[in-house]
Amino acid sequence: MANVNWRTINIDALDPDSPANFDLSSLTPSVTPVSTADVQSTAGQIRQLLRGGDNEGALQGALENPPYGGDDKGKEVHLATVIEILQSIRQADMSPILSRLYSAPGGTEVLDVLMKYIYKGMAQSNAANAANTANSSRMLTPQHTSTRMLTPQTTGFSQISSRGGEGGGQAMSVLLSWHEKLVEIAGPGSIVRVMADRRTV
Amino acid sequence: MAAPEVNHLFHHPIADHSFSADRQTLAVARENNIDLYQRSGDKYTLKDELTGHDKTVTGVDIAPKSGKIVTCSQDRNAYVWEHSPQGGWKPTLVLLRINRAATCVRWAPSESKFAVGSGARLIPVCYFEEEDNWWVSKHIKKPIRSTITSVAWHPNSVLLAAGSTDGHARVLSAFVKGVDERPEPSPWGERLPFNTVCGEFLNNTAGWVHSVAFSPSGNALAFASHDSNLTVVYPSQADQPPKAVLSISTQVLPFMSLLWSSETEIIAAGYNCEAFRLQGSEDGWQLAGSLESKGRPGVQDQREESALNMFRQMDLKGKVTDDTKLKTVHQNTINTIRPFEEAGGNVTKVSSTGVDGRVVIWSL
Amino acid sequence: MRKRRSISQAYARQDPCVDTPASVPHHEAPLSSQSLRPYLQCVRSSLTAALSLSNFASQASERHNVPEIEAASSPEVLLNPLTVSRNENEKVYIEPSINSVRISIKIKQADEIEHILVHKFTRFLTQRAEAFFILRRKPVKGYDISFLITNFHTEEMLKHKLVDFIIQFMEEVDKEISEMKLFLNARARFVAESFLTPFD
Repeated sequence: MANVNWRTINIDALDPDSPANFDLSSLTPSVTPVSTADVQSTAGQIRQLLRGGDNEGALQGALENPPYGGDDKGKEVHLATVIEILQSIRQADMSPILSRLYSAPGGTEVLDVLMKYIYKGMAQSNAANAANTANSSRMLTPQHTSTRMLTPQTTGFSQISSRGGEGGGQAMSVLLSWHEKLVEIAGPGSIVRVMADRRTV
Repeated sequence: MAAPEVNHLFHHPIADHSFSADRQTLAVARENNIDLYQRSGDKYTLKDELTGHDKTVTGVDIAPKSGKIVTCSQDRNAYVWEHSPQGGWKPTLVLLRINRAATCVRWAPSESKFAVGSGARLIPVCYFEEEDNWWVSKHIKKPIRSTITSVAWHPNSVLLAAGSTDGHARVLSAFVKGVDERPEPSPWGERLPFNTVCGEFLNNTAGWVHSVAFSPSGNALAFASHDSNLTVVYPSQADQPPKAVLSISTQVLPFMSLLWSSETEIIAAGYNCEAFRLQGSEDGWQLAGSLESKGRPGVQDQREESALNMFRQMDLKGKVTDDTKLKTVHQNTINTIRPFEEAGGNVTKVSSTGVDGRVVIWSL
Repeated sequence: MRKRRSISQAYARQDPCVDTPASVPHHEAPLSSQSLRPYLQCVRSSLTAALSLSNFASQASERHNVPEIEAASSPEVLLNPLTVSRNENEKVYIEPSINSVRISIKIKQADEIEHILVHKFTRFLTQRAEAFFILRRKPVKGYDISFLITNFHTEEMLKHKLVDFIIQFMEEVDKEISEMKLFLNARARFVAESFLTPFD
């Protein structure tokens, strides 16, 4: 204790009345805890729908039950489910599905949740790997599983390998096209809500 | 619908503005000062400057009957300015007793007191103490957890609505003994000692509340928050959950300011740089459209561009034309929107000011 | 024939990211995935939403008005950060707050040369940060360059032009880096050739 540098102690953190100790949970009163097992069973049901070819139903089901109260593991599981669904829908079907979701009751809420997952998907550095393990996608071509990042180049003068496997490029491209279509329908207001909402997915 | 009347005063943000009751004087908050403009013909000319604050002025309000001007600033002070018979304005310092910025100020309809929002997580309610010849304040403290961004008075001058960056809009009692008369019972409550919390509202997304307002009757409360939502609350009676809480998630950027033009219509404006009309009742609310008339002149004067350049723009930047002028009347965020003219209990004209230094008067 | 080749070269110059390897069949998905447009479009809409700033005085210290995203003294005025990514090597990280937004960009670095070039290039810019108004002197960890936009910037500059600036920066920097690399390689080849000529 003798060599503690007193000047570097953040005294605001020690004062319960300080603005630094704002209780963020007061902004999310309605969130109830969800266990990972529950999330997994929902994921199972949704995959069932997906296998049955009902992409739209699967998407709606997944977006109506976001595990706000889940832990990191549970949220990860649900993210993988949503991304799998998103990747299984063809580009031409995106806009019609989104407009149908939007016009359904509670549609803005559903699209806000989708927006949250799109951003979360992009934030995840290993989204491509997650999608691979989910082994779902027609979008994935073999070149994207290349492990360029793991094998450092011995020479900096090579240009050949610089283009090929853009880590996770395909998975991101799917999310980016969803994002574009979604903004057309839900507007910038939806992005604002992703930033403001403390109920994270 | 007549074209909006646009006055470009200067190139600085206008944090707040207020018109006198006869609509001849306009007070705008410009940096550390308040500029008073006098209407002459169809223009506004600078007449007076109220100097005294030494940080950004955040709020200004002219009392309609007495003509007193109250101002507040990030320097933690508020002044009440009175027109002296010799000409000129005489400031009186208000004892706010806050140690953070003052963010907004509004006179109560009775004009015997006013409320100041602050970053000190409290609301000083100020009234005049005859004996000491001072404006003194009483603090509403609980249960505020963050900066107050806006305050609005109920028509009975007792209830006060306050929006805060903690995501809550609250209805509180600002009853000051000796200044106020006992109010009539309302759906918000019957017995209302100072600092009674009559309602605390939070929507699901819990964005910062930018603006609050009571409906003309006082029997409904609307607030706009930084999640592009506008929430309307209809109370039932004291200590009961409200009859209806309606939240409209809009597609546009958040609203900074709102007002009720009648019991069934709200005008809101904000980061979209344009004002929107919302209509509804207890059964539901919806966005009814923009106040801007589409296809105004001056929008089409875009430069001719080569096809190659156009497609390159589309491919690289994802946008078609390169324009510096927005298509809206306001060229930046609208900060404040206020009633300008009323007829038969309904607001017929509103005034808006924003970051672009423009004052625009809209006919509804 | 000659003309055709020059056009394709010019196109590759303009946007080095669209030249897909010849082995990739030209069907819908890879083409659109390689295009820069959806990525920039996404950055554009995210920035437009994030740049909704207001004048907000500090709650922590009196008479101060500081960028809350840097001070981080009140958690409720900070919003959830957003990430827009095109792939693992190209990302934009947007951290919004009530009166300021921090935008960090990870510039594509396909190999070591590009890594060095990006490092030198961003260092050159950040050392001249005061000339750029919104440039942050130090990038956020994990990114190559950061911008800090406060409400004072959005007040005196047009918001959509600020967004345009960031977008333009993002596309220019890619172009710049690959051009520098081309120059470097051409020069290396020239040097190697003249060095080896005596042994020919």
